[in-house]
Amino acid sequence: MKKKPEWLKVRYNQEAVAEVAELMRDLKLNTVCKEANCPNLGECYRKHTSTFMILGSICTRNCRFCNVTTGHPLPLDPEEPMNVAKATKKMGLRHVVLTCSTRDDLPDGGAEQFAKTVRAIREVCPGTTVETLISDMKMNTEALDAVIAAHPEVLNHNVETVKELQVDIRPQARYERSLDVLRYSKQKDPTLLTKTGFMVGLGETEDQISSLMDDILDTGCDILTIGQYLQPSPQHYPLARYATPEEFANYKEMALVKGFRHVASAPLARSSYKAWEVLEDVHDLY
Amino acid sequence: MEKKLTMPKLRPEMEKGVLCAWLKEEGDVVTTGEALFEIETDKVVNQIEATESGILKKQLCEEGDTVDVESPVAILETE
Repeated sequence: MKKKPEWLKVRYNQEAVAEVAELMRDLKLNTVCKEANCPNLGECYRKHTSTFMILGSICTRNCRFCNVTTGHPLPLDPEEPMNVAKATKKMGLRHVVLTCSTRDDLPDGGAEQFAKTVRAIREVCPGTTVETLISDMKMNTEALDAVIAAHPEVLNHNVETVKELQVDIRPQARYERSLDVLRYSKQKDPTLLTKTGFMVGLGETEDQISSLMDDILDTGCDILTIGQYLQPSPQHYPLARYATPEEFANYKEMALVKGFRHVASAPLARSSYKAWEVLEDVHDLY
Repeated sequence: MEKKLTMPKLRPEMEKGVLCAWLKEEGDVVTTGEALFEIETDKVVNQIEATESGILKKQLCEEGDTVDVESPVAILETE
């Protein structure tokens, strides 16, 4: 294990974590915070923020950077949409991020469950904004249409890494397909804010990062997140390097110069970390 | 009142943790929310916050020690 740099220290409050974990257990919900062993879990839970992972905690894909369990998923829980809405209300969330395990076994990739969950939140918590962090849904346009029709404020889909590393990092995904998801969603509903993110520290070069930003921008994407890859275990894809906070600041500058409207770039930036603040920042885009 | 502080379970599969650094010495006043000690996991270094105020009476392990989850690592004297 490489020695952790000073900037990879996070706070952890056991009581806050236990409180949110209990609520999730009672409502039979999953968070990506726990499943992905997110480093920000302690901070977010203390601020009563969490990202719900719908469609179950077992994923049909085997991405080499990700800590979510791969296997045969269970059937969808019909009560899940309403339970997410109840938890949102109980936690008093102003902004909800919904993400998912990738469900290649479902004909619609779980799109309808996403739409139902957005609608349930609208019904129970009318003032809360919603961000859907979706899988590529195999670029099934009917499935994407179902999510877009529910009209989340933000539609997020992560490209995760540069073009050159896709096959190694996300063997069952496709670079172009992920870009197409962003492009299609923006074209279908230009009022939708689109968002994506990638990691650094997997072995990518500066030129590859620059090209990646160009490709993302070309889809009409509004918001970009850039964070440090943290290897979940020795069995996962090896960490190449820790980028410094200064390097992250440079990536942010590079992305803004290219034309992104909002960029969150920091070692511990994650697609849903401080997502509310990001949305507030781009609020004038509505 | 004496209260035992334990090694937290930071992830479902965690069985042991390495206490890599103490951030408070014996005799120090500790306030709720202050970081007490550090545990390194695969991804990051976690600074474990005190959930109660008091005086750190005794450190039960040294920096670098591996401790079972939920085993005591320190004694806090609370009011």
